[in-house]
Amino acid sequence: MATIVDIKEEKALEVKNFEFTYAGADEPNIKKLTMPIAKHNITALIGPSGCGKTTLLRSFNRMHDLYPANRYSGEIIFKDRNILTKNEDLIKLRTQIGMIFQKPTAFPMSIFDNVAYGLRLQGVKNKTELQGRVKKALQDAAIWQEVKDRLGHDANGLSGGQQQRLCIARAIAVEPEVLLFDEPTSALDPISTAGIEELIVGLKERVSIIIVTHNMQQAARVSDYTGFMYLGELVELGRTEELFVTPKERLTEEYITGKFG
Amino acid sequence: MTHTQKRVITSSIVMALSTLSAVIGIGFLLWILSILIINGVDALSTTIFLEEGAPPGNENGGLKHALIGQLMLVGYASVFGVPLGILAGTYLSEYGLKSKLSEIIRDISDIMMSAPSIVIGAFVYAIVVAPSGQFSGWAGSIALMIIMLPIILRTTDDMLQLVPSTLREAAFALGAPKYKVIIQVVYRGAKAGILTGVLLGVARVAGETAPLLFTSFNDNFLNTDMSQPMASLTVTMYNYATSPYEDWQKLGWAAAFILSMFILTLNVLGRLFLLKRKGK
Repeated sequence: MATIVDIKEEKALEVKNFEFTYAGADEPNIKKLTMPIAKHNITALIGPSGCGKTTLLRSFNRMHDLYPANRYSGEIIFKDRNILTKNEDLIKLRTQIGMIFQKPTAFPMSIFDNVAYGLRLQGVKNKTELQGRVKKALQDAAIWQEVKDRLGHDANGLSGGQQQRLCIARAIAVEPEVLLFDEPTSALDPISTAGIEELIVGLKERVSIIIVTHNMQQAARVSDYTGFMYLGELVELGRTEELFVTPKERLTEEYITGKFG
Repeated sequence: MTHTQKRVITSSIVMALSTLSAVIGIGFLLWILSILIINGVDALSTTIFLEEGAPPGNENGGLKHALIGQLMLVGYASVFGVPLGILAGTYLSEYGLKSKLSEIIRDISDIMMSAPSIVIGAFVYAIVVAPSGQFSGWAGSIALMIIMLPIILRTTDDMLQLVPSTLREAAFALGAPKYKVIIQVVYRGAKAGILTGVLLGVARVAGETAPLLFTSFNDNFLNTDMSQPMASLTVTMYNYATSPYEDWQKLGWAAAFILSMFILTLNVLGRLFLLKRKGK
């Protein structure tokens, strides 16, 4: 059984006995996983490739439902309800739980329209309100200074790091309660990576954050809690400073000391 | 002779042969185009655009009826064929993707693309012209639409599939419903490619004669009633060029020139859009 540290904060999400099997697979990719996620904290998910960390991340906003025949069971509790039920309103859920992807995903439209996209989906039409909220989101994503003079330009003209910050601006513009980051810096250079990490840490006052990363230093730098996953199971969830210094499980220790991975 | 020398010689022979073949191919194209341009430009005059068909020997004959007929035939075929093709392509790429039905539709469209167009003309003759008892503009447009459909459908399908799935996921992750993801994000990403498919599809049918012979037939005078036989540049060209009268043959050259320039322009525009897309 997994070693799970007692979380004192309020919980943003609670995974209970979650099992997930991809379409066509015989073996589940995630096995009976139970894990609490602390509110207004950063939880990092680490583990070797194929351990199920990205699969778990994409379960929080039901991304798997975009593809047919994936099977899952168990519960993920968010705001006192199980979001895995059939009658969950996915459109509303995804405005409350936002996501940033591995590769920047700027839409083929202007910088302004990119950030305004989620707001417009929610029916914000008032021009002044749109402009205000787009500006605020770009400021919060630390990219306003770089783009304020060219909001009408095609977003694909921005650099990779800028596009990723634009995507963060787009995600926080709709004021979600949880943000999911799926290896957000693996396609970026070290300077852009540092910028994004700083940004993520700054965001936790307003949103609860879960970040999947292949980079253990990154997990150690940004997160408050770290979960180590292996072969579809949560091996250990602990305070980051404790997990990396005094892991309770032998597997965790072997992984963070580089004995496998 | 060493091994290297042998390879150099083989390489030179192959290169010479392929260059020669290319020159022969392009040579014929230039030959056709130059004769077309010399005779076509010579036959051009303002009368051609202003006057309808006239009996042989009458200096005032023009192609107005054929030009307008052509535009109407191709126009109506496009009005119905383009949206249908784009929507069907959207189904394949966004909804059906790997289902059995989509695979079957893809295979059938590929076969339809290479079907001789005269077969499609005969088909429309059987289902539209024969039951209604007369040739009509509608029958011509339907035949052209059937030829256009698989081209637009397959290009749309291909172009939409080139849009990275992460872009779709990003839109879904912001809480967008599927139809908005398709219209606002996927279409935008594939805009240039779809437009190219549409232009190439229209250009392809604009040059068709065979399917029109059985369907819209011909009319030597201006007719804008789609339920009646209708003139087209291609059929007019065929009739005039094979006639024994010199002034009709001249009009045939003019029709050939105008049509070729129209199709060339559509093709060049199509390629330009594609280049612009790739250049990004």
